[in-house]
Amino acid sequence: MSLIDLENVSKIYQVGDQEIRALDQIHLRIEAGEFVAIIGPSGSGKSTVMHLMGCLDTPSTGRMVICGNELSRATPDQLARVRNQEIGFVFQAFNLLPKLDVVSNIELPLIYSGVPAAQRRERARKVACEVGLGDRLSNRPPQLSGGQCQRVAIARALVNNPQIIFADEPTGNLDSATGLAILGMFDELNASGKTIVLVTHDPSIAARSRRVIEIRDGHIVREYQP
Amino acid sequence: MSLLVVFQIGIREIAAHKFRSVLSMLGIVLGVSSLIATMALTRGMEEGTRTFMQQLGGLELVTIAEKNPSSLKMDFANLSPGLTLRDAEVIRESASLISHVSPEILISSLVSSFGQSGTRERRTVRGIYPDHFVIRMHQIGAGRFLSDLDVQRGARCVVLGNTVAKQLWPDVSIGSIIGKKVLIGTSPFEVVGVLDFYQSEEQARMRRSGKTSMRWKWDPFRVKNEAVLIPFTTLFHEFRSGAGSNEKTDSSKRNDSTELKKSNETKESNKRNDSIDSINLDTLIVRVRDLEYFRPALDQLRKLLDITHRGVDDFDFETREDWFDRVESSVRAARLSGGLISAISLVVGGIGIMNIMLASISERVREIGIRMAVGARPKDIFLQIIIEGMFISLIGAFLGIGASLGLIEILKLISPTENVPVLSWEGVLFSVVFALLAGLLSGIYPGLKAARLDPISALRYE
Repeated sequence: MSLIDLENVSKIYQVGDQEIRALDQIHLRIEAGEFVAIIGPSGSGKSTVMHLMGCLDTPSTGRMVICGNELSRATPDQLARVRNQEIGFVFQAFNLLPKLDVVSNIELPLIYSGVPAAQRRERARKVACEVGLGDRLSNRPPQLSGGQCQRVAIARALVNNPQIIFADEPTGNLDSATGLAILGMFDELNASGKTIVLVTHDPSIAARSRRVIEIRDGHIVREYQP
Repeated sequence: MSLLVVFQIGIREIAAHKFRSVLSMLGIVLGVSSLIATMALTRGMEEGTRTFMQQLGGLELVTIAEKNPSSLKMDFANLSPGLTLRDAEVIRESASLISHVSPEILISSLVSSFGQSGTRERRTVRGIYPDHFVIRMHQIGAGRFLSDLDVQRGARCVVLGNTVAKQLWPDVSIGSIIGKKVLIGTSPFEVVGVLDFYQSEEQARMRRSGKTSMRWKWDPFRVKNEAVLIPFTTLFHEFRSGAGSNEKTDSSKRNDSTELKKSNETKESNKRNDSIDSINLDTLIVRVRDLEYFRPALDQLRKLLDITHRGVDDFDFETREDWFDRVESSVRAARLSGGLISAISLVVGGIGIMNIMLASISERVREIGIRMAVGARPKDIFLQIIIEGMFISLIGAFLGIGASLGLIEILKLISPTENVPVLSWEGVLFSVVFALLAGLLSGIYPGLKAARLDPISALRYE
């Protein structure tokens, strides 16, 4: 069974009396351990696909199964549980909480899965060391460089040991050298067995994946291996 | 997600915006402090009234006085002998719900000290029975009260109110007044007792601080302080001869006196009954044995007096109950209106918190989005907002309690009555609960708003 299975999925937004089909009857399967890049210009619907797969949203029509959970008609609570347990997000803008230090930021998902405080901090510290932030534990995001912030975000995505990591333009706010280092981390994660879904508009970044899916106007127009 | 974590997040959030949080607490602080102060004030009023009532003679006192009979009974009003000593005897013997009875007659007479230079004033002299001291709740300052023996013998002894004694012998301690002679009219009386000086809390305070009120005020203790009390029999024979009963001759009056003396001990003949029927009273005061049976006691009195007055309703009961009810209801009204005002300010305080919470969540949309993205359920977000609101109001409530303690101290200094505010713990508890409720309610709307945020748009929010 596929880790991610979208079957005939559409996402329709109602703007005024106009119907906008952000996604139009998409079929997409991603197996465990894959490194997939979703590529397309802005407004193509690639973010919408990512939000659906990332359980931030539900499809208007069609069937969606993520990690064995049928989520086509899921409640916000069910979606939240899958996001918490099975999925890690890495965003372009890092999306860290500026008032919290590195450890507190990393442990955030564990708070919502009810892990006791001592265990939480222990695990957060361990993951922080793994991403190379062992000496920055009590700093806050504003005191860190962009690359360090993205490492915090990756550590946060990893802390609950999810099956899938979604990365939305993870290098968009970084200089190219730092960006390469971050992409290198995704390679390592994929090698260690995580499924990686990378959303980008940059073909050169997409080229680092094993499988590229190109989306345009709500349709999958091309699929190839770089 | 444990509540502890929610609290931690809440504390951190409040600490990060100290000034804003304090501002939003202000309404709660004012509400709580005014609520506690109002309750303390009304409690003080209540207790002030209660002790005042006690000093005046309490609720147990019932005064029986004559009145005009109703028009229906006017035609045979002359069948009734009026309020007589017979009534007192009957009540004493038969009214089981009445513990003390004192029939009284009053005269107005000049009172002066014997051969001394003190004042010479016209005063109300009361002929009483010893029960009077219990019914009126007198305290003896020096000497003794009048005794049954004084009444039986018609002794020429007098108990003076404190003010009267002080005016008659301005420079002498009340202890040494005992045994001195007083002229009532032209008859000499021996002072056997001087009563305590009665005053309200306020009067005591003013006296201590040396201030004297320029305004004339109704002094409920004046009657007690200016009392001149002599045995009933003495007053009757010295001053009422001829006034008590018109149809008797002077010689029969003498007989009355002996009958009167014996009336407590022996069963009288018909003729004697006639004569104690003929001694008219000015008032008759009684003490109800148990307040639990206040109404039944009044019924009992009414039935007995109906018999002695031959069905003519020419008597009436004066009780303190009506007055006390009135005081009670005014205290209740004060409490209600004060409580209402405080409650309004608590509600306003709650709205203040709601306002701040709304501002806070629109500032934190992105944070909420991030929390949702990593797995916070809508109810986690809701709970967090609610707890924050309650936390702010709880801190506000504690500050309010502190403020109310200060406020009560100030009120104690400027309090215009004897009703010193009394801090009640129910009041404190009540206002804290109310403040928490305000915090809870004010958190609901912002909390719902936050919990309903769409994670995607919340994440994109700048």
